[in-house]
Amino acid sequence: MAYRSSFLLQIFANFLINTAEVLALFAMFYQFDSMGGWTLGEVALLHGMSMIAFSLGDMLTIGMDYVAPQIRSGEFDRVLTRPLSSWMNAVTSEINLRHLGQLIQGFLVLTFAFTQVNIDWSVTKVLMLIGAILTGVALFMALFTVEAIFSFWTVNGVEAINAFTYGGSDLAQFPMHVFGRTLRVLFIWIIPVAFVTYYPALYLLDKPDPLGMPGWFVLLGPVITAVFCGVVAWGWNQGIRHYRSTGS
Amino acid sequence: MTMISVRDLRKTFPIKKHAGGFVGSLASLFRSEYEGEFEAVKGISFNIERGEMVGYIGPNGAGKSTTIKMLTGILVPTSGEATVAGMVPWETRKQLALKIGVVFGQRTQLWWDLALIESLELLKYMYRVPDDRFQHNLNTATELLGLEEFLRTPVRQLSLGQRMRGDLTAALLHDPEILYLDEPTIGLDIVAKAAIRDFLSELNRARQTTVLLTTHDLDDIEQLCPRIMVIDHGDVMYDGGLSDLKQRWGGRRQLIVDFASEPDVAISELTNGNLEVISIDGPRATIAFDRDSLSAPEVLSRAGAYGDIRDMSLQEPDIEDVIKRMYAGKIPAGV
Amino acid sequence: MRMYYELAKRSFQQQFAYRAATLAGLFTNSVFGVMLSSVYLALYWDKPENASVGGFTAEQAVTYTWIGQALIMPVIFWGWWLIIDTIRSGAVVMDMLKPMDYFRYWLSRDLGRGAAQVITRGIPTLIIGSILFDLVWPESWQRWVAFLISVPFAVTVSFCLRFMFNLWGFWLLDHRGISSLVILVTGVFSGHLLPINWYPPAIRDFINVLPFRSMMMTPVEIWLGQVSIARGLAMQVFWSAVMIGCCYLVLHFAERKVVVQGG
Ligand SMILES: Nc1ncnc2c1ncn2[C@@H]1O[C@H](COP(=O)(O)OP(=O)(O)OP(=O)(O)O)[C@@H](O)[C@H]1O
Ligand SMILES: [Mg+2]
Repeated sequence: MAYRSSFLLQIFANFLINTAEVLALFAMFYQFDSMGGWTLGEVALLHGMSMIAFSLGDMLTIGMDYVAPQIRSGEFDRVLTRPLSSWMNAVTSEINLRHLGQLIQGFLVLTFAFTQVNIDWSVTKVLMLIGAILTGVALFMALFTVEAIFSFWTVNGVEAINAFTYGGSDLAQFPMHVFGRTLRVLFIWIIPVAFVTYYPALYLLDKPDPLGMPGWFVLLGPVITAVFCGVVAWGWNQGIRHYRSTGS
Repeated sequence: MTMISVRDLRKTFPIKKHAGGFVGSLASLFRSEYEGEFEAVKGISFNIERGEMVGYIGPNGAGKSTTIKMLTGILVPTSGEATVAGMVPWETRKQLALKIGVVFGQRTQLWWDLALIESLELLKYMYRVPDDRFQHNLNTATELLGLEEFLRTPVRQLSLGQRMRGDLTAALLHDPEILYLDEPTIGLDIVAKAAIRDFLSELNRARQTTVLLTTHDLDDIEQLCPRIMVIDHGDVMYDGGLSDLKQRWGGRRQLIVDFASEPDVAISELTNGNLEVISIDGPRATIAFDRDSLSAPEVLSRAGAYGDIRDMSLQEPDIEDVIKRMYAGKIPAGV
Repeated sequence: MRMYYELAKRSFQQQFAYRAATLAGLFTNSVFGVMLSSVYLALYWDKPENASVGGFTAEQAVTYTWIGQALIMPVIFWGWWLIIDTIRSGAVVMDMLKPMDYFRYWLSRDLGRGAAQVITRGIPTLIIGSILFDLVWPESWQRWVAFLISVPFAVTVSFCLRFMFNLWGFWLLDHRGISSLVILVTGVFSGHLLPINWYPPAIRDFINVLPFRSMMMTPVEIWLGQVSIARGLAMQVFWSAVMIGCCYLVLHFAERKVVVQGG
């Protein structure tokens, strides 16, 4: 009982934090009519999708937050002695649903977005929406793993990864074409968050890409994400090997 | 001159519990639920004179640390009175701080991120210690406690024994009149313990510093404290000299008798009011007896009736034994 | 007084030890700076050049973003629980035993820390911002000076807020519940999340009578010339004094209430 109520409290707290973000979105559109040519409803669509993917990805990899402290305290050894793959062990070593608050909010924002924009729904569009969110969940899970991978080598400066995790999820909340070349290349081709919200949204809204990419480009999302996940999996294994050989 | 005087000092702690449910836990953000109280110190009284070294002992959870926290002014007692160096600690915490030194063995007053010497320098400013006193005290401590080799090391990296020496130095920089030590030797090796004990006796001899010491290491007490107070469940059970304690409560000496062969089993019938055959182990029998009513030769001659005696040895009671029996409740509370 | 100066000096020096963390933090601040600047600029796409919306031209909005990123570490808008940690671990006992003013003890350390972070995080972030974007600079040397003076006041107000939230720990040892409240309050009310003028009038007017805008919005306005130097600094001095008073009040009750953990 005590556990359940503190659990509800955490969800509530998490909900509050994200309220600020949503508030900022509405306030911006209180002053301005559009952002890079997009309306409030359209940007809210990006917000909702990003929040859902991010919170799911985060919840599924909460265990990754504990890798660094576990390495430092020596408890990571225990993770390696369990009969599952090391990544699964690390991920399941801690389960915490605190980001349920953000997930709920994501759904609320998405619902709001649907009331604001006109989407010509079809089966492929529904599949696109689901596919985009699944891609996003995989991508964010991989990103949270990157943070843990670095801690196999160093305890210093790991927070730079925040620029990609939190930065990535924030960036995914806005239309890609407002960003400069460097950020676009980074977040389309290397850490493909553009495929979590922006390209799927273009498809849902039947908008052409102002950056000139053809319509099928969106289908590259899962491919680039798979490549990214592959690299991360390789990095994780390198990290584990490093840990085993140095024991630290 | 009385340095510490305590009358009917009591401390109860509230026992808190969070309310269940979502609303309850929301409410617990702002207040906590109250659920009865626990009496950690139950109205104790004592006086400590200037220059005394008093051992304050008792089992875990007895209320020792709680008492010390009240006498430093950190905790406000539920009721009762105390004066320390002429002040009421919890009303004049900050003035009192200039007159007392405190070491909590499990905590440090040094700054983790600073080198030991830097921590000491900060404390110098904090306690407004004149330069020459600072230098003098630092030199003394460096000499007696061997600080030299780790003065420049960050506190974070000090070993427990090194840190404790640093903490002790820190507590004495401002020449306090009273020193409270709460388990200062916890976790230390024999050499470090010895260094700290020597340092404390020297301090007490040279500066007449009053010391109140809690510890679970009875060697500390035997070597440092002519007077001890025993507390259990928040009550003072004994307050007096160490030798008195042994005399009165550890009155049983032990005679170990080695027979040529196994003694007659009937030897166990010797046991009566002031004598007890504790064990028979092959040819060796251990007999405890009351020092006031029996003498060793008398016991020996009685034992001689049950076999040929080859050898014997006499053991004086040790404080360990006394305290063990006291904690276990075999000795009635109150003196 | 000497002691507080020594404390500040030492926490100032200590900050320079964390080189990797500083670089990592600078990188993160910069990425967020670029991102937010781009988003704000996109809001002005369909406005005429030099149009001012909610009191900000596009260039000013970008400058606001970078000042915000530069002030994150010196001022600290969230996630500072050092005092609660000492309460929870029981280490607070050792602080209570020292003949010092508990509030000034922490404040001086925090000011020392903040000063170091102006150098290691604040100025570099602004330099990076000025390389990547066109920023608006203070129009006179007086404004430069006034801005520099306003930062320690911003730190002070922020510190007081953090101090009070931490003292909550004397009653309640858990900060998870309130930490989300802090993020919301400081993020929105300081103006760090969005320029305060952009909120609807009712919300804006409400935020403007609170002390928290001293943490961010007032320094920005001093920089941009949107408030007179005298008025801006006076507001900060006023709110610092009020907040410090509140801290002592809370401390007064907290000290009597102290629950020391563990033996
Ligand atoms: N803050 C507190 N809240 C509630 N109970 C407390 C608190 N501090 C101490 N107690 C209780 O008061 C009693 C006495 O504690 P105290 O720390 O004084 O014991 P002690 O004699 O120092 O023991 P030890 O030898 O283990 O250090 C214990 O039962 C403890 O649980
Ligand atoms: Mg204790």
